[in-house]
Amino acid sequence: MQKKLLLFSLLAAGSVIVARAQFSEFQNNAAASTFTLSSDQNTLQIGGRTSFYYEDRVMKQGNVNLSHNGFNVGDMDIDLLGKTANKFIYEFHLSPIDLVTAAATQNTSNPANSGIKAAYLQYVGFLVHIKLGFDKVPFSQGSLTEKWASPMWSHANLYGGDYFSRRDIGLTLNTNLMNNRLHLYGGMYSGLGENCFEYGGDASGKPEFIGRAEYSYPGKMKYASIDEENSPVVNFRVALNARYMDKTQPAGHSVATDVPDAPGAFGLRIVDGKRSVYGGDFIIKYRGLSFLFETDMVNIQPTSTADPLYEGTATSVNKNKVNAGGFTTSLNYNLEKLHSCVTIMYETLNPNDLAPGHEEWLYLGYAYKLSGFNSVFKIEYYRPMVEDVVSDPLKYTAQIRAGYQIVF
Amino acid sequence: MTSNKLTYRMIFAALSLSVLLVSFKKKEIPTTKFKFEHFKLLKKIPEPSDIVYDKETGHTFIVSDHGKLFECDTLGNIIRKAPEEGMDFEGVEILDSFVYVSDETPRKVYQYRKSDLSLVNVFSVTWQGALNKAYESLTYNATKKCFLLVSQQPVAVVEYDKDFKEIKKYPFRLARDISSARWHNGFVYLLSGKDECIFKCDPNTYEALEKYNINVLNPEGLAFDAHENILITSDDLQRLYFFNNLPIIK
Repeated sequence: MQKKLLLFSLLAAGSVIVARAQFSEFQNNAAASTFTLSSDQNTLQIGGRTSFYYEDRVMKQGNVNLSHNGFNVGDMDIDLLGKTANKFIYEFHLSPIDLVTAAATQNTSNPANSGIKAAYLQYVGFLVHIKLGFDKVPFSQGSLTEKWASPMWSHANLYGGDYFSRRDIGLTLNTNLMNNRLHLYGGMYSGLGENCFEYGGDASGKPEFIGRAEYSYPGKMKYASIDEENSPVVNFRVALNARYMDKTQPAGHSVATDVPDAPGAFGLRIVDGKRSVYGGDFIIKYRGLSFLFETDMVNIQPTSTADPLYEGTATSVNKNKVNAGGFTTSLNYNLEKLHSCVTIMYETLNPNDLAPGHEEWLYLGYAYKLSGFNSVFKIEYYRPMVEDVVSDPLKYTAQIRAGYQIVF
Repeated sequence: MTSNKLTYRMIFAALSLSVLLVSFKKKEIPTTKFKFEHFKLLKKIPEPSDIVYDKETGHTFIVSDHGKLFECDTLGNIIRKAPEEGMDFEGVEILDSFVYVSDETPRKVYQYRKSDLSLVNVFSVTWQGALNKAYESLTYNATKKCFLLVSQQPVAVVEYDKDFKEIKKYPFRLARDISSARWHNGFVYLLSGKDECIFKCDPNTYEALEKYNINVLNPEGLAFDAHENILITSDDLQRLYFFNNLPIIK
């Protein structure tokens, strides 16, 4: 363990010292090196993000496989964002590292990481903006908030993609009302989430519907968990969102055989039957402090009484319903004078209310910002406080990630 | 060693390094707090981004992120709107009988005739940084007889001649961003949206002389009226804030 401590200390020191040495490169270009090309009618921005970290897991006794311990690529993204004079916006956000990983492992490593993070076009010339294509769906503050603009290396489990999809292909409408204080979203999507490129569609042929309503005061708020502006006045946002799909499969088809990767780790993302998710979230910022809360509850009605989600319970017990979900809450403090930001987050989850047990997690994060979150050293620690040994058994008791990130 | 002890030591090591690295002390400039008196909601001007006061008429010109130019009274009530629109208007200035507007997204400056708000000329300027971090500020530096366009992030004060040919660029390192600039009575004033403050600068070197911390969220536009009072627009809040004269820093 002493060796690990030494290694982490060297990594932390090395990252920051190297960043200081590289600082001159960014000093005249504090927003990093995003490029913009413009002609009379079009503007195209070329940007991206790259990050690397060292990960160390404290394994339970008897677990000799330490393959998780080592260096990892966090992001290696490239982003093209264009705007036209006739009010169209288009974006193509690609993650080459995910594409390479998917190709090298024949898409078995992480099927939900297709390598494409956004590919859409949007028209903003009307009061209601129209977006068509693949992008984040308007559900969950935690999912919509960029994790790179925080001290954390990973999303909380609740909105990380296991309980519901974060991206999908479809149509999104959104509008701002009441002087930008009320923001409404609505859309219909494939329902396959990030696996839409893998399967195209499912046998039910039915979409997923998603809606979200946000109210911000005193004005609109960006999807950022950290109060980098050190807000001189209290500002907050409260939101409610819901999503629904009926993916009852026709005779001769099943989710398990037709789209086996799509249900995800707990089988919640898509089911042979009906599924709805209801959630609410809240954020408040003041003087560098920010507090966030989010809850999401999944309600599933599998068609077959033999569905594994029922955990073998009798209908009289399960009432033909399976519930999952939980909540996360976090407190962040941005200390701009020290270029520092700290985060503490807690979440409690239950992947299946018909199985015994639940899980609770504690997260700690620290960021030292050389140039905002565009050039930043981050260290994240998390551990299960309560383990759900039935639904989500773990081989480790804690994990640390420390590394460096550049957004360009 | 337990995982908890390891974590505490890691966090302590990271914090210690941070404190060491921020020991590069910035130059102190005289600073004071400056609070607004009242504000008005600009209901009909979506996302107001900059404001300039017209001494000749006593009116103001306000530009919007939606690519619109409005002439308003001193309370922000719309008098008329320019028929020609752009993409993302961020800076506005008056010089002689013209109103100049910077359009951030396509990197252009529009010249409108003040009398009828007709479009007279369009100039192209260059800024190859991020699409939405470009020229948010436009003012005429009467001391050096040149236009100033100030990039939002990273901040650079760029001098242009009257045909918008670049003359010289000055990096400005005291703020994380700059969202408005105004020459007034022999000084250049720079407004930072992210740091929520106004810098009073030397008009020749753009070196900051004084700093005023303001209590406005997301300030984007800065103007001085006939009585030296300050007007500030806030984009996110869609408000026009009214301040008194700048306080004297002792």
